[in-house]
Amino acid sequence: MFRHLFTLIWNRKRANLLLISEIFFSFVVLFGVAAVLITSAKNYLAPHGFNYEQVWRLEVRAGQNLKMPRAELDDVLRQVKALPGVRTVALTSGNLPFIFNVNNSVYEYQGKKSPVTNYYDADDHYNEALQLHLREGRWFAPADDGSNHRPVVISQDLRESLFGNGPALGKIFTWENPGKDVKPEDQFQVVGVAEPVRMESDFSAAIPTAWLRLLPYDTTHWETANVLVRVAPGSGGELQEKIARTVAGVTRQWTSQVRVMDDERLHRRRYTLVPVVGLCIMGLFLIINVALGLFGVLWYNISQRRAEIGLRRAMGATGAGIGWQFLGEMMVVTTFGVVLGGLLAAQFPLLNAFDLPVQPYLLAIAAATGAVYFITALCAWQPSRLAAAIQPAVALREE
Amino acid sequence: MENLLANSPETRTQPAALNGATPVLRLTNIEKVYQTKTIETVALNQVNLAINRGEFVSIMGPSGCGKSTLLSLMGLLDEPTSGVIELDGRAVTSFSDKELANLRNLKIGFVFQSYHLINDLSVVDNVEVPLLYRKGMSSKERRQRALTALDKVGLSARTAHFPGQLSGGQRQRVAIARALAGGPEIILADEPTGNLDSVMGEEIMELLMTLNRRDGVTVVMVTHDEQQALKTQRVIRFFDGSQVS
Repeated sequence: MFRHLFTLIWNRKRANLLLISEIFFSFVVLFGVAAVLITSAKNYLAPHGFNYEQVWRLEVRAGQNLKMPRAELDDVLRQVKALPGVRTVALTSGNLPFIFNVNNSVYEYQGKKSPVTNYYDADDHYNEALQLHLREGRWFAPADDGSNHRPVVISQDLRESLFGNGPALGKIFTWENPGKDVKPEDQFQVVGVAEPVRMESDFSAAIPTAWLRLLPYDTTHWETANVLVRVAPGSGGELQEKIARTVAGVTRQWTSQVRVMDDERLHRRRYTLVPVVGLCIMGLFLIINVALGLFGVLWYNISQRRAEIGLRRAMGATGAGIGWQFLGEMMVVTTFGVVLGGLLAAQFPLLNAFDLPVQPYLLAIAAATGAVYFITALCAWQPSRLAAAIQPAVALREE
Repeated sequence: MENLLANSPETRTQPAALNGATPVLRLTNIEKVYQTKTIETVALNQVNLAINRGEFVSIMGPSGCGKSTLLSLMGLLDEPTSGVIELDGRAVTSFSDKELANLRNLKIGFVFQSYHLINDLSVVDNVEVPLLYRKGMSSKERRQRALTALDKVGLSARTAHFPGQLSGGQRQRVAIARALAGGPEIILADEPTGNLDSVMGEEIMELLMTLNRRDGVTVVMVTHDEQQALKTQRVIRFFDGSQVS
């Protein structure tokens, strides 16, 4: 029977072209949506690689064109750290986790280039504040003051891209295309390797990362200082007010703002979710349209094939058999569309599109295949039941 | 009505060998009523009829007299409102859809005025259709039986053609081959020559008569053509849903 159905569909391929096209496009859309959802879910379930809870972001502003002397900034840091409830403070660059500010570059080690890498300035207390998971080596320490090169801690994925399976600690790398005379501050010596981190959003993938030691630093050209503040559990608005008053107490010209990193994570999550939800809604509407289209076409097909249904009943088909035949035909048509869509979808992992691993693409192909078969079976079910209920004597008499 | 009865040739054409034989198909007190919310239409009224094995029977009557309804009931495509249908001595009235479908497949072949071929299937694939519903038959055997049936109707050279490439007469031959392919005991033909010119109609009639004489297939044919009816062994006439001779 399967061969018969296949022959029938093949011989009607021109008539079925529209259906096959609809199924093909549905498959492609579902594949796209599934790939985004699976990648996002996979990322969401992966660890962040650091602890954002009980971490606040203190932004201290000196004001436009005003200097921020280091002595005063150190005083601010010291006084804030001394507040009850504050565990540690760490100075960093403006591209803190979960905010829309990214510093990235490409690094090079003995001609081998890294992928695009996020980099952060970090002082010796940064790791206490964010609690990264170090795999090798150590975090920055005052002993690094005497280093001839700039100490860096790198993430495991950056380590693999630059050094492969070889040792990384003590190795020195540079920015991409460093030229002949590389300044010592542009030569980065690895002192530690941390687990991969996801600092952009809950749904972003781990990105190769380098933390460059922020010392010695000249703050006189700074207008803003970004400080990570790790606080005790249960700390709230009262402590935030105290921090603001402390900053104002050092110098009245400076202003400050305290934000909770977890709130910024949730804020960023909403920004990331909006396009994903939008894509899902668009996909859903498209699928509903396609489903209605399929339903209509199948309904029409059955009304056009009433005589054939009557004939098959006369030849020995049962009502249920007719229903299954129509469902089977739809599955064969679906297979044509899915195979075409699958061929297109397979190009994504083969061409390493969007730098995503193969697994989400394969899962997306499987999910899209399952969904398309489910939708078409659902759409074919009612018309097939209708076909099964057609009285053969009536159908044969109509023509 | 009187005129129709006067011309009835039924007793003259009944072969002696069939007298007293077990009917392959028997209809007893058959009534068929089509009912809508407002109208009740009696299509068949108290029909009693027996078709003997190996007979070639024609059914005649004006349009709307219930001929096609009768053929649908004989072909187990429809159920009577009341009465009993027996096939090979077994009452089929209470049979399930599956049992009826199986009986149709094994014992009955259908030939229709408008051929009812599937235009998207080749001639041989069309002839194979009834065999698709036969359990346990291999595709090789299906193909062989279809080719044999096509050979019987003289269409061996047209197996790969599609219905649209054939003449009306050839299409009806394909339909007859399809009816034959399953090796049925009865062929029910609903105006098989109705869409054909006289020459082709004659060819089809000859073919049906040959199948009846040579292979012993029982044929029940609905026709409007008096000349063709006269060639059959028995003519049953209907008027307004009742058998009049």
